Amino acid sequence: MNPEFQRNLWLEASPRRIAWAGVVLLLIYGAAVTLTRNNPYGAFPALGGVGAVVFVACAMLWGARASGNSILAEIADRTWDFQRLSALQPWTMTWGKLFGGSSLAWMCALTGLLMMVIAGVVGGVVGLGVTVIFMLALAVLLQAISLGAALIGVRKARAEGRTARASGVLGGLIIGAILLSWVAGSAGFQRGMGTEGFGALFSANGMVDWGGRLWPAAGFRAVALSLFAAWAVVGAWRLMRLELQMQNAPVVWPAFLIFLAIFAGGFMLRTQGLAAGLAVGSLVVALSAYAAAFAEPADRVRLRQFVQFVGKGDLARAAPLTPAPLAPLLIATLLVLAAFATSNGSLMTPELGQAGALIAFLLRDLGVIALFRMGERPQRGDFSAVVALGLLYGVGGSIGWAVGREAGGALFAPLAHAPLISLMSGLVQAAVVWALAGKRIGLSAPPSVPASVPAT
Amino acid sequence: MTAAPMIDVRGVVYDYPTARALHGVSFTVEAGAVLAMVGPNGAGKTTLLRCMAALDNPTEGEITVAGLDTRTDPRGVHAAIGYLPDFFGLYEELSVRQALTYAARSRGMSPADTPKAVEEAAARVQLTDRIEMRAGELSRGLKQRLAIAQTIVHRPRVLLLDEPAAGLDPEARRSLSDLILRLAGEGMTIVVSSHILAELEDYSTRMLMIRDGAVAGGGVVAAGSGARDGLRVSVSLTDPPEDLADRLAAIGVTLERQEGDEVLLLAPDGEDDAALLARLIGAGLKVRAFQPTRLTLEDAYLAEVTR
Repeated sequence: MNPEFQRNLWLEASPRRIAWAGVVLLLIYGAAVTLTRNNPYGAFPALGGVGAVVFVACAMLWGARASGNSILAEIADRTWDFQRLSALQPWTMTWGKLFGGSSLAWMCALTGLLMMVIAGVVGGVVGLGVTVIFMLALAVLLQAISLGAALIGVRKARAEGRTARASGVLGGLIIGAILLSWVAGSAGFQRGMGTEGFGALFSANGMVDWGGRLWPAAGFRAVALSLFAAWAVVGAWRLMRLELQMQNAPVVWPAFLIFLAIFAGGFMLRTQGLAAGLAVGSLVVALSAYAAAFAEPADRVRLRQFVQFVGKGDLARAAPLTPAPLAPLLIATLLVLAAFATSNGSLMTPELGQAGALIAFLLRDLGVIALFRMGERPQRGDFSAVVALGLLYGVGGSIGWAVGREAGGALFAPLAHAPLISLMSGLVQAAVVWALAGKRIGLSAPPSVPASVPAT
Repeated sequence: MTAAPMIDVRGVVYDYPTARALHGVSFTVEAGAVLAMVGPNGAGKTTLLRCMAALDNPTEGEITVAGLDTRTDPRGVHAAIGYLPDFFGLYEELSVRQALTYAARSRGMSPADTPKAVEEAAARVQLTDRIEMRAGELSRGLKQRLAIAQTIVHRPRVLLLDEPAAGLDPEARRSLSDLILRLAGEGMTIVVSSHILAELEDYSTRMLMIRDGAVAGGGVVAAGSGARDGLRVSVSLTDPPEDLADRLAAIGVTLERQEGDEVLLLAPDGEDDAALLARLIGAGLKVRAFQPTRLTLEDAYLAEVTR
């Protein structure tokens, strides 16, 4: 047996804990049966409903928390270095933690799923298999995101000289929820980028327009969610590799971004054409750059090494040090250029112009994030960067609008009304901000400060 | 042809985001040595040990441990070493047996070999009688022993210990010294860091001083009660000649230190006291007092400081 999985079983699923969980579940299901004993349809519908609630509570909430804690508890108990020194392969460690840390939660959740399935079979529910796949995929997605977020938190904390906190997991869950809304709201995606998708999450009705054809919504979402869950597990595995001191070539991350672009762009294909699909894909990839910029450890030394290796032409050593936002920036730029190329004469439509300006502002924003996160106190960098971006877009945009309406506003945000102004303004600002950030990071010179640092 | 060193550190630089912690550190450790890595708090010892354990990558330089590069084969290094950090943790809810089983299995030991290795590791740290106890129920000293047992259960070739005696009572320190001596006797290469020289005295054979992130003094030197680099003799001479060093060299003896009439000599390992005395007199030296001695870590430390 996988030693990491076995250790987690020893800790999480001891006979005593399993016995207690069994008692609690018996009480819950017993109460459901007792309360519905006069129901003319019998106890199964109620048991099915209670089972669904148990599954959501155990697999999606408790399980997600347990998966994140399988890393954070190691940090708190000072056992993480011991784990990093193990000879276990990253994949073994990943699944051992993912399913071992949440083993008791899974045991409880599967009783709920079983109740749901029995109730569904008895009640003749259509599409029960698809629903089960959907729920299992959703649970794995949330747990893998939680594990990945904890690993990101650990890397960030180490680089910033602080202790990893559960807030990293929380942030990861929020990102996961946004991703989820896209998936769940895939039918609604065309109407407004999917935030309304939460409502459609548990009522998969109708058809989904994707990739130039219509798909049954329930099946589409189950498949899409399974793919995202697989990507989340792969992401956790790649992060685990880094924690175990292995190097990642920049391959899987760009591959995920391309998948994301195809997934998002597919919703536009049938009704608005390829150019619109590429533009939407670039938008989604560009948004990923922000997530990557904040998820990356604020490590000036690593950036300097990357620049030095690139400068020397040593791409083999530079590749594993590639900053994570670089791939989405390049892919988003390529997608915008492809959108221009496929726009069939309407080369400078407002939407495409806006997409170009968006890339310029993305470049500026990445500079702003780098400028604030690579300071002397990186612990506060994330918050400072968010405030700075808020000021630039909120206050700057308001002032610009007050002074010059569309043209003024376009100086501070990528607006469709004046895309060329936005494009030029974004590029100029990006140049200024990156000059400042480069100076702060010390990209041109290796560190030479002679000092003894408390070795911790 | 000399054998390759067990640990080879070459030009290691380590940068924290705000400062440089290691400035081009280079040294080698021969197989079977017990190296005392000494230096004040904040000198960079822990950073260096973490780089040697392939837990952190140096900014520049290379480290090989047991012939494996820490940068290109970190997992191989992890399998070849045992590392006990200064602030270690244990799985308090696991029994000693479970903790050692996990340590063995997670370090690549096969399920068939694990039970025997667990029993052996528990016996080596004298925890056999407590093997079914929860780790959380052990005293500080016993937890330290369990932590060391976890680091040696897979029989590593190199053991890195960072301040292992911190927080231990005298009895537990003695027990730790005995354990390190036993492990060294089995041929394990051991690096122990500490800023307290006395606790390293009993088992060290070599010393490396780290100060302000750099190797201080002359690098790795023989020191400690375990040092086996020759016979040291403290000699008082009447009217020592000008060419004392040359005369000593001619009879195969090294002049390590001279303060007026008092000199510290180093003769080859296995040298007989009486024969050495006879050779000194034969070389025309007027020996007033002759006392075989050993170089303590403190002697070596002070010698390196004043170097």
